[in-house]
Amino acid sequence: MMHQTIRSGSPTLSDDRDAHLRLDGLTKRYGDSVAVAALDLAVPKGELVALLGPSGCGKTTTLRMVAGLIKPTDGRIVVASQDITQVPTYRRDMGLVFQSYALFPHMTVAKNVAFGLEMRSLPKPEIERRVKEALAMVRLEALAERKPRELSGGQQQRVALARALVIRPSILLLDEPLSNLDAKLRDEMRNEIRDIQQSLGITAVFVTHDQVEALSMCDKVVVMRGGKLEQMGTPVEVYEHPATPFVASFVGRTNRLEGIAQGDGRVAIGSMAVQVPGRPGGKVEIMIRPHRMKLVDVGSGEDAASEGVNRLAGSLTRVTFVGDLLQYHVDVDGTEIVVEAASDHGRGFRKVGAPVAVLWRVEDTMVFGRGA
Amino acid sequence: MEANETSVPMKIVVAVLFLFLLAPVILVVPISFSGEQILSFPPESWSLRWYAALADNPKMISAFWTSLMLGAIVTLISLAVAIPAAYVIVRMRTMGSTFLYNLFTAPLLLPTIVLGLAILIVFASIGFLGTFTGLVIGHLVITLPYALRVLATTLGNLNLSCEEAASTLGGRPLTVFRRVTLPMMAPGIVAATALCFLVSFDEVVITLFLTGPRLTTLPVELFHHVESRADPLVASVSVLLILLTLAVVMIVDRTVGLSKTFVK
Repeated sequence: MMHQTIRSGSPTLSDDRDAHLRLDGLTKRYGDSVAVAALDLAVPKGELVALLGPSGCGKTTTLRMVAGLIKPTDGRIVVASQDITQVPTYRRDMGLVFQSYALFPHMTVAKNVAFGLEMRSLPKPEIERRVKEALAMVRLEALAERKPRELSGGQQQRVALARALVIRPSILLLDEPLSNLDAKLRDEMRNEIRDIQQSLGITAVFVTHDQVEALSMCDKVVVMRGGKLEQMGTPVEVYEHPATPFVASFVGRTNRLEGIAQGDGRVAIGSMAVQVPGRPGGKVEIMIRPHRMKLVDVGSGEDAASEGVNRLAGSLTRVTFVGDLLQYHVDVDGTEIVVEAASDHGRGFRKVGAPVAVLWRVEDTMVFGRGA
Repeated sequence: MEANETSVPMKIVVAVLFLFLLAPVILVVPISFSGEQILSFPPESWSLRWYAALADNPKMISAFWTSLMLGAIVTLISLAVAIPAAYVIVRMRTMGSTFLYNLFTAPLLLPTIVLGLAILIVFASIGFLGTFTGLVIGHLVITLPYALRVLATTLGNLNLSCEEAASTLGGRPLTVFRRVTLPMMAPGIVAATALCFLVSFDEVVITLFLTGPRLTTLPVELFHHVESRADPLVASVSVLLILLTLAVVMIVDRTVGLSKTFVK
């Protein structure tokens, strides 16, 4: 489901020396409410970083502060070792692609793309040449003389991208650029934006609430919640080793169980017990991804407890067919567990109400402390 | 628009309503071609004598030019004041924005006769009565609220992100306003222009207080004419005014579209 591009080189956070964009304690307060709370972030040159989170997590506010459209309450924004916190938007040299595209309705496509170059007072022949190049890059040369309202959503999106890139910005900012497109077009645009970003080697920040976009397109994913950075890492790190329960449940689907850790690698969940990696103690929540679990009939040949495998028994309450997946809902002692399996030509339907067991490997169990 | 057909009873209702609204306009056309001395309908004889009489009436003609000039100047000043005012009130959103907006549009809520009296009292003391300047200022009190209201609504409905996009692309605030905001406000500006001009051209109540024996506007001159005589001259003037209004409306329709301008 996720086609992941893993870049060679440093897989962990880069230090500040090669950071192209750096945020130091960036804060935005509206009266008493805090939209962004002392955010620190370093984006290396040429990387595409996703700001991922639910609405109201401060990701768009952060992006708009980087663009200069919102004044930060506190903190610094540094681009290429220069503090630009006080620099007005029009001198920041950033290309911003809006969710609503924000094309100028009274100008043709070519005029829209030329706008930023005209603002830089470039000679006419050069403007014409670069507009042509930019439109060729997004495959819209043929529509140069159209007005934005005569274009489809995907075409408008590509014009917006060309308009932002033609000025060769120091940073490309994308604010939920795909959320107004239908699913198929979204997949296409995702790859197109990623290809263009990589071929230009441009540093880019991508705001999204869609974990698939963040994981599949970006070099780094920054998960935000309530104005704070929850976790930053490569898509694989964020997905496989979430730092908090919030990240685990927001990025990808999870099953959640609460229990008491015994300090010997075992967690008691009601009357049952499961094995977890490490030796945590106290109240914990454990999470398991639905596709890492396996559903078997009780007493069948596959239902055999073995070393390093957890088993919970329950009864099947519902089977949902979602095309490429089958989702089994299992009632385990009052808690609902969802197990996902690839649907094989519609096979794999089971009788609801049957006693089943859920198996998963101990190493696929994520454990988080629940505080006191 | 394309889907639902209007039913026959609905069509009849609409036709009757239109007839009711347009009856005075329709009535005035035949009367203007009357050959009689006195306003009557239907006229017993036909002629162009009242159009000829109009051409020979210097007071009417000079009043018409006064009204036209007044309308044009008042409209220009209204736009020049209301466009920046709307921008400051809608876009800059300072503490006093709402207060300013209400203050600007307050004259719309006052009875015109009260405004007229107030202006009369003030102008009498500073000698603006019967002057063109006085008329311009008096009309501005009426037209500015209309202009500001239309322009503020237009600006409020504009997608702010277009202006933001322009500034990220390197546009300085004034350039963004000139190249992006102003063109996007065009329908509102055309509407405000038409509205200001028509309101000024049509204004009687305040103008009655401000005109004098030497300087008068067309509606006021018509008013005085009807007071003293009942001949069909007013009908021929009315027909010409209807044609002028129609011309303005058609220009608006051809340039930006009528429903786009006045209907929200």
